[in-house]
Amino acid sequence: MPPYQTGGGMIRSVTFEKTTYADLPDKFEPGTPNIADAIALKVALDFLDEIGIRQAAEHESRLTQLAMKRLSEIEGVNLHGTTADKAGIVSFTMTCAHPHDIGQILDSEGVAIRAGHHCCQPLMKRLGVPATARASFALYNTEEEVEALVRGVLRVKEVFA
Amino acid sequence: MMRELYQEMILDHNKNPRNRRTIENTHHHAEGLNPLCGDQVEVYLTIEDDIIQDISFVGHGCAISTASASLMTEALKGKPITEAKAIFEEFHNMLMDAGHVEFSDDLEALEVLGGVKAYPMRVKCASLAWHTFSAALEGKEVASTE
Repeated sequence: MPPYQTGGGMIRSVTFEKTTYADLPDKFEPGTPNIADAIALKVALDFLDEIGIRQAAEHESRLTQLAMKRLSEIEGVNLHGTTADKAGIVSFTMTCAHPHDIGQILDSEGVAIRAGHHCCQPLMKRLGVPATARASFALYNTEEEVEALVRGVLRVKEVFA
Repeated sequence: MMRELYQEMILDHNKNPRNRRTIENTHHHAEGLNPLCGDQVEVYLTIEDDIIQDISFVGHGCAISTASASLMTEALKGKPITEAKAIFEEFHNMLMDAGHVEFSDDLEALEVLGGVKAYPMRVKCASLAWHTFSAALEGKEVASTE
């Protein structure tokens, strides 16, 4: 199979008469390898190791549970996906507003969420909603940011009431 | 800043959409889809003597897309086809921020959607119903904003 692309590191020898390519996989991987990302990956792993993967998961879980509790206290907010053992995401809909409108208002309040069908149209159909709003939590999020989300959701109610 | 996008009239048309119904027995019907956000709208028309006698829509979407569909039906009902096309073009120019657009008094309501131009992601929400109207007029069955 001839190489689809040429570049550094993919030949064994080149003469006027003949070119011999390197063995696989090098033959198909010309140019500078993605060294920077490999180095960054190690730094990221060291960072996670320092904190502890279990601690990181606990932090995410704590914020997720807090967000679910605080959002469920707001009338007109429906949570989707409430199993106890779940990733750091909270999906919700609101009676008064479409998820894209929720996203727009939250954005103006400085809170970034994902809105839409999340590349899962059959699931949306199963849930009986056109789309959902979805907030996610990671290591770098804080309890104060959960409160900012809650304030933003209350603002959505104000605008669309 | 948010109030420019979500003006009172948009919130009102979202809550109480005008002409949200189907029209039976018409050949002028098209479905519009916004695949990225999942908005879906169907537009129905009846045309007699080159005049839009009746126009309606059904579907689901965000406040911008519902209000735009609702305002569109009010703007185009009773208009000759040529005028309706010209209104669509003006409306499109407004969304794309292509020069100064000013609607006549009876169409002024459409200007509330002008705030959308500051939010490129939402332009498709506001234009979906209109593209679907255009498809229904031309006898195409499906319109997409992609």
